[in-house]
Amino acid sequence: MSLIQALFYMMSFIALASALFVAATKNLVRSIFMFFVTLFALAGLYVLALADFVAITQIVIYVGGILVLILFAFMLSGKETLNIIAQQRGKFISINKVAAFLLAGLFLLVLLNTFFKVDANHLGWITGSVRANNVITSTSAMTENIGVNLMTKYLLPFEAISILLMVALIGAAHLSRKGEKQ
Amino acid sequence: MISLNDFLIVSAVLFCIGLYMIVSKRNAIQILIGIELMLNAAILNLVAFGKYDRFFNGGQMFALFAIVLAAATTAVALAIILNVYRQYKTIDPGRIDKLGDE
Amino acid sequence: MKTITLEEFLNDIDTLTIHFTLAAVLLPLLAFIINFSLPGRLHKLAGWVSTIAILLSCIISASVFSKVWNSHHVHQQMLWFTIGDTKVYAGVLLNNLSVLMLLLVNFIALPVHIYSTAYMKDDEGYNRYFAYLSFFCFSMLALVVADNLVLFYTFWELVGFSSYLLIGFWFTRDSAVQANKKAFIMNRVGDIGLLTAIIILFAQFHTFDISQLFADKGVISQSVIQGGTWIAPLGNMPAVWQYIACGGLFLAVAAKSAQFPLHTWLPDAMEGPTSISALIHAATMVAAGVFLLGRVYPLFNGAELTILALIGCFTAFMAATIALTQNDLKRILAYSTISQLGFMIMAMGIGAYASSLFHLATHAFFKCLLFLVAGIVIHQMAHIKKDNSLDIDPQNILTMGGLRKKLPLTFIAAIIGGLALVGLPLTSGYLSKDGILIQAFEWSDGKSGFYKIIPITAVLTTWLTAFYVARLILKVFFGELKVLSDHPGIQIHIGDGGWRYKLPLILLAVCCLFPLFSVSPLLYEQAWLFQGLTLTIRAVHANIYHTLIPVSVNILSVLVIYGAYMMYVKRKGNIFLQSGFLYRLSAGEWYFDRIYNSVIVKPILFLSTAAFWIDRTIIDGFINALADIGIKIAKLCAWIDHHIIDGFLNLLVVIVEAVGNFARRFQGGKVQYYLFSMLVIVLLLFILKTVF
Repeated sequence: MSLIQALFYMMSFIALASALFVAATKNLVRSIFMFFVTLFALAGLYVLALADFVAITQIVIYVGGILVLILFAFMLSGKETLNIIAQQRGKFISINKVAAFLLAGLFLLVLLNTFFKVDANHLGWITGSVRANNVITSTSAMTENIGVNLMTKYLLPFEAISILLMVALIGAAHLSRKGEKQ
Repeated sequence: MISLNDFLIVSAVLFCIGLYMIVSKRNAIQILIGIELMLNAAILNLVAFGKYDRFFNGGQMFALFAIVLAAATTAVALAIILNVYRQYKTIDPGRIDKLGDE
Repeated sequence: MKTITLEEFLNDIDTLTIHFTLAAVLLPLLAFIINFSLPGRLHKLAGWVSTIAILLSCIISASVFSKVWNSHHVHQQMLWFTIGDTKVYAGVLLNNLSVLMLLLVNFIALPVHIYSTAYMKDDEGYNRYFAYLSFFCFSMLALVVADNLVLFYTFWELVGFSSYLLIGFWFTRDSAVQANKKAFIMNRVGDIGLLTAIIILFAQFHTFDISQLFADKGVISQSVIQGGTWIAPLGNMPAVWQYIACGGLFLAVAAKSAQFPLHTWLPDAMEGPTSISALIHAATMVAAGVFLLGRVYPLFNGAELTILALIGCFTAFMAATIALTQNDLKRILAYSTISQLGFMIMAMGIGAYASSLFHLATHAFFKCLLFLVAGIVIHQMAHIKKDNSLDIDPQNILTMGGLRKKLPLTFIAAIIGGLALVGLPLTSGYLSKDGILIQAFEWSDGKSGFYKIIPITAVLTTWLTAFYVARLILKVFFGELKVLSDHPGIQIHIGDGGWRYKLPLILLAVCCLFPLFSVSPLLYEQAWLFQGLTLTIRAVHANIYHTLIPVSVNILSVLVIYGAYMMYVKRKGNIFLQSGFLYRLSAGEWYFDRIYNSVIVKPILFLSTAAFWIDRTIIDGFINALADIGIKIAKLCAWIDHHIIDGFLNLLVVIVEAVGNFARRFQGGKVQYYLFSMLVIVLLLFILKTVF
């Protein structure tokens, strides 16, 4: 086993374990902070998948943006709201959870079954790509290539996303305004 | 070398955890977190397969787009959750079953 | 008697007489109808309507009397109704007895009517009073001329009913209501007897016709009792039925004529107006019993007549003893009436048929006179009571006294009536009563000594009569006015009253004297009335009784009266203890009411209570049990209906509801549930796709 593989398993374990904790805990604040860990672990996995720019973006936007947004929205909305939102009712095991657990488990089985049937390592386009030497290696620097592609081949999706992002931000700001109605 | 199957298994487990959270949680914020988990599972797949497209970086590119979209989604979703709370004094989606103003 | 055709009927010379009789009977009925339909503001006319009707009736009956008396019987009848083969005829039978009664009733009723117009003038029920009075006269007149037993029974009942109305005339008084109930119920006993007798007679003789039954050659005179069988021309039956018939008739007589043991209603009947007492309970209605006895006289045989004589004698004696101690003016007169009726029944029993009816006639006059006198006295006492607001009983003779100066005419009338009642010479009472006594002695001759008890008791009763009459008149008219000495300084404005009071008194007082009945003041055999009624002409025994009895009886009577005078007016000694057993027996009216109460009334009340209890507890209980069972069954049905039939429907409803609830959950507005469902379906699709 190489160091890379060991790192991969460790990262995977951290990500999955923290995700399970996020799903299992009753305390909202704890689950949010555990979500940090999950996101960091995932960022590590991206690095191991040779996508360092994506990993950086993940940390910057997800951890620094979304998660902080969630925390701010959660913590700035007043003590009363905080209490109510943090409060977790219901039993540890309920029919809802069991049913959801079964559903999730069955989905997992179906997905795994599909993956093993497909055998992703030997798909046509992947073997073709390997043969055409179209594979990212650990030595190749992809950041420049991504910037060029973004301004050339993916310009249209990039602009659309920009507009969408702006619209979403304006909309979020509008929605979270203190209501004049009340 | 890490095989694609390992990434796929991790993302499948992650997806199922997100799925479980979405279906079972009674708190809109946790449901939002579940959605983020599922998105991350998808992004992990994109990144893992994006390794085999060195020239156009399709996988990584769409992973970036997905992250940005997730940020937008989260911002709007949080705003909606706050508004819903103001309106109904709860964020349990199971109990928000009335339309309009009562 | 065969049915007469119309032509024969019209040609009959008696038709006029019959028409007159019918007119005399129906005039009071007409007055009754007019009085009842008079409007309220004309009610003062009622008295004159009735009086004129009775006056006309009186004149007509006088003419009928003159035609029929001692000449011939008049009997007309028409087919009334037919039941099966039996034809029942209704008609009018006029013989000496019925025309005498017709005239007597009218002649007594006339002064009573005149008197009543004054006596009742302030009463609220003035026209009701006269309507009832006319109705009573109609019933009584029809009774005496009826020729068949069914008709007779009808009017007998009507007489009883109208008497009930009149006794209870002041129906707001409880005592009057009690009295008329008592009179009515006791008369019912007699009515049942009469009805029984009529049924038995019809069963034996197949006719209701009085003349066929009781005439000289009638079927009853042809029937004999032999060896326990009652043999009649049309059939035989056991002799016991004859006894029952006689017993029934006796009950009827006893009830109407107030004989022992059914006499107790008469004193109570004094609750009616005094003028009513004068007419009904002295002169006419109570005479109906004696009249019935006169009609059915041939039915009774020797032994039964003796029983009649004994009962009559006992009643006469008993009533006389009770009259000795009563203090109520009207009660004294009532018991005196019972006593005199006892004399009449006794006379019938000893075969003095004519004397009995003679006494009935004379008694009607003097008793009516005495009651009218009593009415005036009571009215005047009531005046005193009202003027001075005293708390006295206006009928109590102990509060009276010395009234002879205030009411001179009344006083004279009372003296005449009283002497007639005692039976002193020169009065009509002497003629009839001494006749009865003499015949009683004659009858007991040649019989065993036991039978002497009847004439001796009768004579004793005569002396008792003399005493209580003397006591009554002395207490009322002599001495000092007790009220005045008890309450000095009270205002007294009383007098004899107007001509409507005086005329009847004078009329009746004249009728109480001998000349109306006989030219000879001393010999009853010469009275025309007596002669007209005698059944068989018997040789006049000029035996010792005819002088001895009147002389001894009358001398002793005078002595008794003198004794009473000394005792009550001069206050010289009181020979009677006011506390002895005899006094209490007399004052308590021989305790008949108490005995009847405890022997008859209470057991019957107990019986009705028991019957009521049985009805309530057992019969109602049974019905209630049935009802309960019905309710239980109904409840069971309801349960089945509710739980099984409705249950089935409810089950359907529950199923539908469950299905609805189940279906509803899929669209309950729960987003997570939608998501869950969607994912399950996706999952299933995947599984299906994988497996197949």
